[in-house]
Amino acid sequence: MPFFDALARWLGMKKKEVNVMVVGLDNSGKTTIINHFKSPETKNHDIVPTVGFNVEKFKSKSLAFTAFDMSGQGRYRNLWEQYYKECDGIIFVIDSSDKLRMVVAKEELNLLLENPELKNRSIPILFYANKMDARDAVSSVKCSHLLELQSLSNKPWFICASNALTGEGLHEGVDWLTDQLKIVLQKKKK
Amino acid sequence: MTENSDKWLDAYHDPVASLYTFTQCLTLSDIQADGDWKLIVADLGTGTYDMKLKVYKNTTLLSEHTIIDLPTGVVTFYMDTLTPRTPAIAVASGPYIYVYKNLRPYFKFTLPPLDIHPVEEDLWNQAKTDQVNILNMRDTLEAMRQEGASLTVRSIKLLQMETNNLQNFVNLHKNTPLKKQTVITCLSTMKKSVPDDDAISCLVLGTENKSIYILDPEAFTVLATVNLPNVPVFISVNGLFDVDYRIVVSCRNGCIYTLKRGSTDVTRNMIELNSQPVGMERVNKNIYVGCMDETLHCFTSKGKKLWTVRLPASITAMEAIDYKPKSFTAVIVALSNQEVHIYKEKYLVDVLKMDDVVTGMRFGRFGREDGTLVMSTKRGGLFVKILKRTAKFEEKDKLAGPPAAQNTKLNLPKKTKLFVDQTQREREQCVAMHRTFQRDLAQLRLKVLREYVKALDSSMNPISSDPMEPLKLSAHVQGIGPTFKFSVKLQNTSLTQSSSNLLITFDYDEHLYDFRKKLIQVPILVPGLTYSFDTFIDCKTDKGLSDNVKVYVLKPGKSIPLITGVVSMPVSESIVLV
Repeated sequence: MPFFDALARWLGMKKKEVNVMVVGLDNSGKTTIINHFKSPETKNHDIVPTVGFNVEKFKSKSLAFTAFDMSGQGRYRNLWEQYYKECDGIIFVIDSSDKLRMVVAKEELNLLLENPELKNRSIPILFYANKMDARDAVSSVKCSHLLELQSLSNKPWFICASNALTGEGLHEGVDWLTDQLKIVLQKKKK
Repeated sequence: MTENSDKWLDAYHDPVASLYTFTQCLTLSDIQADGDWKLIVADLGTGTYDMKLKVYKNTTLLSEHTIIDLPTGVVTFYMDTLTPRTPAIAVASGPYIYVYKNLRPYFKFTLPPLDIHPVEEDLWNQAKTDQVNILNMRDTLEAMRQEGASLTVRSIKLLQMETNNLQNFVNLHKNTPLKKQTVITCLSTMKKSVPDDDAISCLVLGTENKSIYILDPEAFTVLATVNLPNVPVFISVNGLFDVDYRIVVSCRNGCIYTLKRGSTDVTRNMIELNSQPVGMERVNKNIYVGCMDETLHCFTSKGKKLWTVRLPASITAMEAIDYKPKSFTAVIVALSNQEVHIYKEKYLVDVLKMDDVVTGMRFGRFGREDGTLVMSTKRGGLFVKILKRTAKFEEKDKLAGPPAAQNTKLNLPKKTKLFVDQTQREREQCVAMHRTFQRDLAQLRLKVLREYVKALDSSMNPISSDPMEPLKLSAHVQGIGPTFKFSVKLQNTSLTQSSSNLLITFDYDEHLYDFRKKLIQVPILVPGLTYSFDTFIDCKTDKGLSDNVKVYVLKPGKSIPLITGVVSMPVSESIVLV
């Protein structure tokens, strides 16, 4: 019933739905970040390495997110591209304490950006420079430098330092993503 | 920076890490049982001091321990069944194995001392009570050394000393008991009774006294000893100690021996190399050996040679790749021309160009990444490369082999009847044909010789055969006509004798040519020098005719010329009247 949907949306009871993909190398904290957004009763206390992917739902101020929490292990990374088509936004999680694998993250990001499904779409990408609490973590600025994000010009992107264990920095990122997705949705309507 | 192949990511490079080490002293292991694999390096320092055991977590130095003597090998092994499963680090250095647990020194194992030559022991015992003259003692030891007896380090040092220092040296050392120890040359591990990744392992070590020892990991007792014909340098182990095992050892004499459980005859399975081995790796059932003569060989475990590859430079390090996620196995060879070659079977599949000569390499899991290649270089650099997820190694030779066209089948015409008949004839009458050919050849030679003799007899050749007048002649014609310049060069080829009283004259068709000098008087010819005599010739005809002109060198009173030169004249250009 489109009328009731519109009414509910106008009243703020039903939110618009968006699909986002959460990608990044293994052990970067993707599942932990998603876990943080979930409601207290559905939260997991044990985070184990994801196999394949998980689908999680959570809400921000004005949007209902469906997050595809992809596994970051090397053998599952070729699964990512199967879901590029249906996603509206991408959350790329970086382990900012793993300097050695920064090149691997960069390589995976390049593969993602070069994918024909995403290459010409202006899809917002949110980067979390996660594990900012770790002793040898690099700053988010350094992180964006290492990934050469400055050369990423045809997509809106945003990087913020985060700590998925305490939730620090997470909402800042999701707020940005919400704003971006709303712009995209409005454009679509027109 | 380095010119990279597209298969590797340059994860980390520190050209000034001041890490001087070799493949044997590099290892990757999960020593804290946290899934984050560390790099363990025994740094050789300058070779005399500053030897350190370094542990890298990610790219930062986690811990550092000083090692007293030069390290010869580093391995990690599980020595107990406690959880968390933290392996111990074993560092071989001199006659000792230092074991570290949780990054703390834990145990020092000393190799069993060797038997001392009774005469040597007796000498030192006498020295203790000053019963022996030191010079006599030195002479006796020197005689023993020359006979080939193996002496203790103390005696060898004594033999190297100046005479005036001997007394002090003996006084200093005579009261400490004499010990003879060997040195560990190579170190490896072998699972004891179960093949799990974290199963308890024995240490396997090769020593300078031509032996292989297998050590129990809990009690540090020698479980087995095998004697070899030569000093082991590279060791490769697989199997289980309690079940069955194979130890492949390459020795300094250029032989590779295979030791099996329960067998003592090591020479049965022996591979003899053409050159000394500089690296040995085992992948599956094949043994890859790099030799000093810039070759890489592959043998089966039975000792059958499969192939040999020539390398463009000498080998500095070798390492095996066994990358399970892509079931990719290969051998990496570092070369002295600063390149790193990757061979899959005998095919060169990739070349990495480095800034420096790589001296140590390890491929395996580092941090959380499976396909990591850690390299140390001659100038002390540390390089980490990560194999790309999308990397594909084509099993095709990158080097120029035989061109593809060589394998395409040519469109040959069918054999004709004539060809078949000819072949038939050749087959049946081969003897007669050969004889005919030989006879013709002999006749040709005879004819050539006859002509040569004739030429000599009539002095028709430009080099004199007369020993009294050794002369050489060469004549040239210059110009395009109708006037030519004719130059004759004469050389006296003897060493001492000069020639004199010679004449040069020409034989020509008078209707065709006119020589302006018909006779040239030759002055005395000094040995060795070349004299040139010129004359002009006018061509009298404009019909485009030419002829040969003969040059004679004559001696008055002889009817036969000494030497003759024949020059064929060019066709003259006609006179242009203006």
